[in-house]
Amino acid sequence: MSLLFKGGKIAAEEGPLVPGDVLVVDGVITAVGKKLEAPKGVRVVDVTGRIVAPAMFDSHVHFREPGQEHKEDLAHGSEAAINGGVTGVVMMPNTNPAIDSAGVVRTLLDKAAEVSRIPVYTSGCITKGRAGTELAGIDGMRKLGVTMLTDDGDPVVDPALLKNAMEYATPFGMFFASHCEVPELAGPRALNEGKVSYELGIKGSPACSEEICMDRDIRLAHAAGAHVHIQHVSSALGMETIRWWKERGVRVTAEVSPHHLIFNEDDIGDYDTHYKMNPPLRTEEDNAALLAGLKEGVFDLIATDHAPHSEFEKSQDFVTAPNGITGLESALVSLFDRFVVPGEFGWDLLVKRYSAEPRRMMGLPAVPIEEGKPAELIVFDPAGETTFTREFMKSKSANTPFLDQTLKGSVDLVLLGNEILLERD
Amino acid sequence: MARKDFLDIASLTREEVDHLLDQATPFKELFTRSVKKVPALKGKSVLTLFYEPSTRTHSSFEVAAKRLSADVIDLDVPHSSAVKGETVKDTVDTLQAMRADYIVVRHKMSGLPQAIARQTKASVINAGDGAHAHPTQALLDAFTLKEVFPSPAGKKVLIVGDILHSRVARSTSNLFLKLGVEVGFLGPGSLVPKLGPAGITRFTDFEEALKWGPDVVYLLRVQMERQDVPSFPGLQEYHRVYGVTQERFKQIQGEGTYIMHPGPVNRGVELCHEVMDYEHSLINQQVENGIAARMAVLYWLKPGTSEGEPQHETD
Repeated sequence: MSLLFKGGKIAAEEGPLVPGDVLVVDGVITAVGKKLEAPKGVRVVDVTGRIVAPAMFDSHVHFREPGQEHKEDLAHGSEAAINGGVTGVVMMPNTNPAIDSAGVVRTLLDKAAEVSRIPVYTSGCITKGRAGTELAGIDGMRKLGVTMLTDDGDPVVDPALLKNAMEYATPFGMFFASHCEVPELAGPRALNEGKVSYELGIKGSPACSEEICMDRDIRLAHAAGAHVHIQHVSSALGMETIRWWKERGVRVTAEVSPHHLIFNEDDIGDYDTHYKMNPPLRTEEDNAALLAGLKEGVFDLIATDHAPHSEFEKSQDFVTAPNGITGLESALVSLFDRFVVPGEFGWDLLVKRYSAEPRRMMGLPAVPIEEGKPAELIVFDPAGETTFTREFMKSKSANTPFLDQTLKGSVDLVLLGNEILLERD
Repeated sequence: MARKDFLDIASLTREEVDHLLDQATPFKELFTRSVKKVPALKGKSVLTLFYEPSTRTHSSFEVAAKRLSADVIDLDVPHSSAVKGETVKDTVDTLQAMRADYIVVRHKMSGLPQAIARQTKASVINAGDGAHAHPTQALLDAFTLKEVFPSPAGKKVLIVGDILHSRVARSTSNLFLKLGVEVGFLGPGSLVPKLGPAGITRFTDFEEALKWGPDVVYLLRVQMERQDVPSFPGLQEYHRVYGVTQERFKQIQGEGTYIMHPGPVNRGVELCHEVMDYEHSLINQQVENGIAARMAVLYWLKPGTSEGEPQHETD
């Protein structure tokens, strides 16, 4: 199959959008340039006014398989990714049973190969069953390609165990992703401690709960010579903690999620559980600080923490309802709508932080729109719009505040190698 | 301007507050007659769901509903656990099948009555949810305050104790502020919110707070069961620092300051024994007014005015 994307603008991780045509022959980009002619038999896709960008990559998703398939599964999760312009994901291991051994990893990867149209990677647990007492089957998982170890959903409470794990797995070329929280401070883990937690009468989780653990994990990694990746940073001081350590040359990376950039505790209103996630939404000042951190390069990457939950679970009272928000389908469009349109940042940041850097962290090559590179790209219409109806979304769950909202921008086409995974007219 | 639900004070307008307070007066007058009943809610059913133990609020609602001639069904629900295993939706479906017109709910989870209200046509009355709200308590407190101060604007009320975990403090201070009352907070640093509502004077010392010249000292019940981590060293110390000791009582008596308390009282903790017989103690009056205030709420609400949609905004 051969395709010529004609009349568009090309996005890259550095620099502004550049007008240019893109020729793809049998899954490889064979030419990029102005006014390319279509060889015989090549399908011409008119992308005038649209953007051709490297496809996105999400290093933090919950596909809930095995054990909670009523929320999400590999088939639906991967289709949700495609729907949002994402062609590669890293699953979190807080499933039931947890992804803590070669057996579970193999089963999942086999299943993914069967049902998913995009590559699916998985992280593995640090501790058996995420229980925080014994180390998981690290070598077995490593042999199946697992590089990221995490007990995501919870921290490893025992610092000695985490340090040992870091010292043990680092020589294998593995790295650690930390969900940061001090359980004794976090309370019922429902929302930020502050004005809104007082109004709603629920014990809040203070930002220092996250910041203390973050600082602890970076210090442990530093002592163990490990690479630690800090997940879903939600507070201004958390961002400054990362910056402080980076300035000292410590090997730490960090991610920020679209929802922590866009929403804050005031959105919870009258106990709207769509805004309940962990770490919780904090304040407007934190939104601004996180955005500044993203623009200044404190955050290496954007990841959604796509966390599907069924409607009946989310319709429980605020404390009982589970934490989480879906993100794969809305991430790119919402970041475009909220930040690219008003000029906060450009496509270069989106490509760098949501496509290139997460791939590099996982040891994968980036997928720039360049001659000779494999075709892994999207066509995005900045003049289009997306309405996130239940029918539009491919995820099994619709726990997002964007439900039934219309945002600017549309992922019109997703190409992976020789296959068009998505094409909207 | 009728509403389906009565869930919190924050969403009430001043007009609605005044209407409810006015409405409670004739109901209270009823109590002195030989027949204390009116047929206002004849044929209607009121379901009470108390997931948390409660004697006075529970019986107060029951008496209020019966004096309005409603049928009262008390659903025997487990006290300690949340709706474990059963989601709110399932509970609501069960309640729906009973065709109750009013559901009175108390639960330890903040926000649970709101979740129920969204999913049922019945009128939901919040009888206390977690640390969030206790709007009928606030109403009876305001009614009681107006009995001693018919024009409460500009009066000073000092609320003392565990503000952080208290739904009474939230709702009552909120309603008092709506009436133009000046509100002060006094309590242990670990039990007073750092970021709280605006317009409230903060005190850290009881003597300083008394110099402020409160017209009412409103004492909150110390709830040891609400504290997973100790917030103060002990009850004796609490009494010494934040309680109405005999010494402070003398001063309060001298000024003629009124005392309020939502009950039940921990004698020797929030207040010394002598306060219970104080002529300016409004504590028993609060209990009696609770019935009238709850009758006013039941009488005001309009069940089934929507398909389970919340009707929080009237403006």
